[in-house]
Amino acid sequence: MIVAAWICLLSPLGAALLITLLGNGISRRGAGYLATFAALVSFVCACIAFFALWGDAPHDRSHYSTVWTWLQSGNFAAGLRILVDPLSTMMMLVVSGVGSLIVAYSVGYMDGDDEERRYFAYMSIFVFSMLLLVQGGSLLLLLAGWGLVGLSSYLLIGFWQERPSAIAAAKKAFVMNAFGDATMALALFLLIQHTGSLNFETVFARAPGLASNHWLVNLVALGLLGGAVAKSAQLPLQTWLPDAMEGPTPVSALIHAATMVTAGVYLIVRTHVLFELAPKVEDLAAGLGAATLLMAGLIALVQTDIKRVIAYSTMSQIGYMFLGAGLGSYANGMFHLMTHAFFKALLFMAAGLVIHALAGEQDIRKMGGLRRLMPRTYRAFLIGALALVGIPPFAGFFSKDSILAAAMHDGWYGYLLWTAGLAGTFLTGLYTFRMLFVVFGGEPSAFVREHLIRGRRHGHGHAHRGEGPLSMTATVTILAVLSLIGGWIQFAPLWTPVTDWLRVVAPTLPHAEPASWQEAVSSALAFALGLAGLATAWLVYSRRRLAVPRFAFVQRVLEHKLYFDEAYDLVFYRPAVAVARLFVRVVEPLVVGGSITGLARGTRDVARGVSEAQTGLLRTYALAIASGLVVLVVVFISVK
Amino acid sequence: MTLGILGPEVSWYLAVAAFLFATGALGVLLRRSPLIVLLSLEIMLNGANLALIAFARHQGNGAGQIFALAVMAVAASEVVVGLGLIVAISRRNLDLDVDKLRTLRG
Repeated sequence: MIVAAWICLLSPLGAALLITLLGNGISRRGAGYLATFAALVSFVCACIAFFALWGDAPHDRSHYSTVWTWLQSGNFAAGLRILVDPLSTMMMLVVSGVGSLIVAYSVGYMDGDDEERRYFAYMSIFVFSMLLLVQGGSLLLLLAGWGLVGLSSYLLIGFWQERPSAIAAAKKAFVMNAFGDATMALALFLLIQHTGSLNFETVFARAPGLASNHWLVNLVALGLLGGAVAKSAQLPLQTWLPDAMEGPTPVSALIHAATMVTAGVYLIVRTHVLFELAPKVEDLAAGLGAATLLMAGLIALVQTDIKRVIAYSTMSQIGYMFLGAGLGSYANGMFHLMTHAFFKALLFMAAGLVIHALAGEQDIRKMGGLRRLMPRTYRAFLIGALALVGIPPFAGFFSKDSILAAAMHDGWYGYLLWTAGLAGTFLTGLYTFRMLFVVFGGEPSAFVREHLIRGRRHGHGHAHRGEGPLSMTATVTILAVLSLIGGWIQFAPLWTPVTDWLRVVAPTLPHAEPASWQEAVSSALAFALGLAGLATAWLVYSRRRLAVPRFAFVQRVLEHKLYFDEAYDLVFYRPAVAVARLFVRVVEPLVVGGSITGLARGTRDVARGVSEAQTGLLRTYALAIASGLVVLVVVFISVK
Repeated sequence: MTLGILGPEVSWYLAVAAFLFATGALGVLLRRSPLIVLLSLEIMLNGANLALIAFARHQGNGAGQIFALAVMAVAASEVVVGLGLIVAISRRNLDLDVDKLRTLRG
């Protein structure tokens, strides 16, 4: 099992190194196959580890393995150590499983790009980093993986480096994530100072001893939450995620929907011991999740870029996961993470098929009527959308409703969150099916006709027949099946294998353990509101019985994403630029440049003065030597 | 152990040596002709040599005499270089005056 876990971790790294080192020695397609193969090896090894773990007794399911100690300072030692336990194997399965599907999909999607090899090397690096993040056996390795996924996300968002907007988006993502990395690193420093270690079991064993120090535990939890919020694009650090859609679509599917952005949820669940010491911070996490899910749902209503709509829905769904994890319903948060990985990757990849067929167009206003021209894509998209809205029997229904039920059990604050979550389901239904009806419903638009019908008739524009190459359609089909059946592995409260599986690592808090009637009410209401959203979208965008309501002000605010970008521009960017200008004008010439030129001038003046003494007169020198000697002699004699 | 010194006390030798050195030093400081300066240098060196040898005899230690021999060798080579320079200067029809040779002025 341990060996399998190591192979799972290192195989994508090996693929990345091989693709990089072989350079032109490997064909473009070969690089894609190699990366896919490596991810598949990871998945198989993750399965092996999972089944081996299943065979263990439930209380004996945490296995650490250290290869070597690469950092030792006093009592503090950090090793390259991995942890195989129920939580990490679940993440391994999701990351490598969805990851291998998406890498396989990329083989078709990136076909013909000039730099396919670089793409697949980055993609493999990402899978490795993400596996390091979830498998790391100490907070330090978790942070290393955390930074590496940030790096590979930066590289992949900016993959099309000739586009200035892609470069800007990559920088934005990197800077915002770096903020989270920094707060997390500060929290880890505090932990080293007070527990003397970063290994999970030591920290979690010693942490309860710090509980009396409220400041400390709150600061640590806040630092970790800062990292989670930045990585998972929650309020107030959410603005990078929509811009990150500049990257290739499979990247959006893998990194910015299925795996990396959910790392924040994993972090909260993994360090739940620390969060439970700071209940205020836990409530804050849940509140941020609720606020984000509402805000993202509202903004998604007015977006016109197909990928941005899905990006906002990702943000909104991660809001649900934060809500669950913040309330202490860890298993439900993780379960939603898993089903979300399936249906969100599916939605992105189906959108990728559409974008691929329309030669890179992403504006939904130009699309329409694709249902007849791309029936298989339509079906896949429909399954993803139904799962996202939470219509039974699709995956989202089972995972989302448990989170809402958990919220219902937590006092007035819980009811507040519960209401927000329910409003979110209505919004989800509305924006998802708005997108679906606009893109696939109605008659084909002129733009679509030009690309799909005429292109096909004249036999150019697309080298392949059907809706996409096999690598793309096959993976989409697999994900569609997973989105359909993936939720069936848990139906609280009747059937709870996921909760049981994770109980050893992260037991659900008692106040987040809903009663059966609460489960039933939440499910029924969420289902009804999801359907209501769907029906509204149908009436407005498909039947056109209702006009789209026009509130110019609201629409403008939402189109500007609640002015977050503008606010950050005003609060951080402009003052920074102003201060920099001031420094250029005042400090630079006076202090920095001034000190250097002053030093040079002083040296020159002193040299000029001293050079006066150099007369060139031989006899002066001789006199100086002689008189100096006389002085020395007199001094020595008189001192003696 | 001391060798019996024939002749005057060591202080007399030192007085002569100091006189020679002072004469040479004055010559170096006051005269302008490089030839005379060189000559005065030789007188200074000989004053120093005299003192070395006087002390060597006084102490009964041969090292001072050996040192004086070394000084003579250095003085001889110095004269070779110095005279060579002087010849070179006069070949270029420059004034033989140390005060005018001041190209090294800062």
